[in-house]
Amino acid sequence: MDFLGQFLQDFVKQLQSPTLGFLLGGMVIAALGSQLQIPDAIYKFITFMLLMKVGLSGGIAIRSSNLQEMLLPALFAVAMGILIVFIGRYTLAKLPKVRTVDAIATAGLFGAVSGSTMAAALTALETQKISYEPWAAALYPFMDIPALVTAIVVASIYLKKKQEKKAPASLSAVGAYAGSGSATGYAGSTSEYRSQHSKRVRIWPIVKESLQGAALSALLLGVALGIFTRPDGVYESFYNPLFRGLLSVLMLVMGMEAWSRLGELRKVAQWYVVYAVVAPLVHGLIAFGLGMIAHYVTGFSLGGVVILAVIACSSSDISGPPTLRAGIPSANPSAYIGASTAIGTPIAIGLGIPLYLGLAQAIMGGS
Amino acid sequence: MAKPAKKLVIVTEKILLKKIAQIIDEAGATGYTVMETGGKGSRNVRSSGQPSVSDTQANIKFEVLTQTREMAEKIVDRVAVEFFNDYAGIAYIYDAEVLYAHSFCGPGGC
Repeated sequence: MDFLGQFLQDFVKQLQSPTLGFLLGGMVIAALGSQLQIPDAIYKFITFMLLMKVGLSGGIAIRSSNLQEMLLPALFAVAMGILIVFIGRYTLAKLPKVRTVDAIATAGLFGAVSGSTMAAALTALETQKISYEPWAAALYPFMDIPALVTAIVVASIYLKKKQEKKAPASLSAVGAYAGSGSATGYAGSTSEYRSQHSKRVRIWPIVKESLQGAALSALLLGVALGIFTRPDGVYESFYNPLFRGLLSVLMLVMGMEAWSRLGELRKVAQWYVVYAVVAPLVHGLIAFGLGMIAHYVTGFSLGGVVILAVIACSSSDISGPPTLRAGIPSANPSAYIGASTAIGTPIAIGLGIPLYLGLAQAIMGGS
Repeated sequence: MAKPAKKLVIVTEKILLKKIAQIIDEAGATGYTVMETGGKGSRNVRSSGQPSVSDTQANIKFEVLTQTREMAEKIVDRVAVEFFNDYAGIAYIYDAEVLYAHSFCGPGGC
């Protein structure tokens, strides 16, 4: 009972955090039709700043830490990324009115990691004075990339099977399209292009694209600079002090974005809403369980367990969507971006972070 | 002394920029112009001006001047088959006359 009481108390405290306040504020003013706009360029710069800060602090910490400790949590992160896609493949995709490709893309996006959600979790941990391994933020790519790669591979296997089943039908559809498109009869060449186009999926380009994405490049550059150079001065005087303020602006933008995407979500099946509410919390709880294994086996800190749970809970909003759009073109972006940005991210920040923090604190208080 | 040419316009999603630019290059066009745009089509309003988290909502417009209709069709054919089933996009062509462009009209000038 004491455990539950402590947990509820921490949970309510989290709901009042400025991070969540700004997020809800953004949603409210967007709902009221406010003309407030945060320029795109600023938004992009803020994401860069936050991930650079997280990367730098991780890199500085890695210099003086034992990297073998990272092995088990990193392994769990990879496993989570892959597992989330398969959970989505065998739950969401089986629901009525849900197209399988859309479901796989949605699962991939929910398996991928949101830098802003992670930044919010780090701030919450610091506010609560819960210590964590600073390299825990570097778990990000270990979950992000496997999730996107798995989703794209699973989707293309599924599409290939489907194509083989109804090959004649799809070919004639393409032929008709090409015929109407060009007057001079390119139909022959277009079907050739089509058959070349449905080639085997290659994994390396997906990995490369994820690494080249804005979020991961900034994070990894930060880690590298933290390890190989001495950025402590600029970190203390610039990146660290600005972090919280910029995070609040970012949360405001995320809130506005979430609201504007809600409309898109209405056009796809309602099951996406159910999935986007339930799945992040379930993913986070599984990751929390895995993290606790690492806690008992290798002494992974409880703060680190919270970070692992939050990155599993979060769904990508910056680098994931373009990668999936290119990797699974036939999936409807309204479905997966709507589910992730409009519901998944607010749930992860609003419920996920306080939930896992509360759990960790209750376990700490109990032991 | 204007040189007749075809102007091909392709409006599509921003994430296809590099791939379409490559198709245009491979077709042998001497150049192209790209603009960021927005608007409304079969896939609803895009680039609506609201802050957007990633580039998946943004549109671009390619303008390509080609010497022949065949070259323009070669470009648009590949673009349509590879992308227009899955991405937002439209293409149209009209007659143009190129003025004062050495590189386009050849050594004799326009």
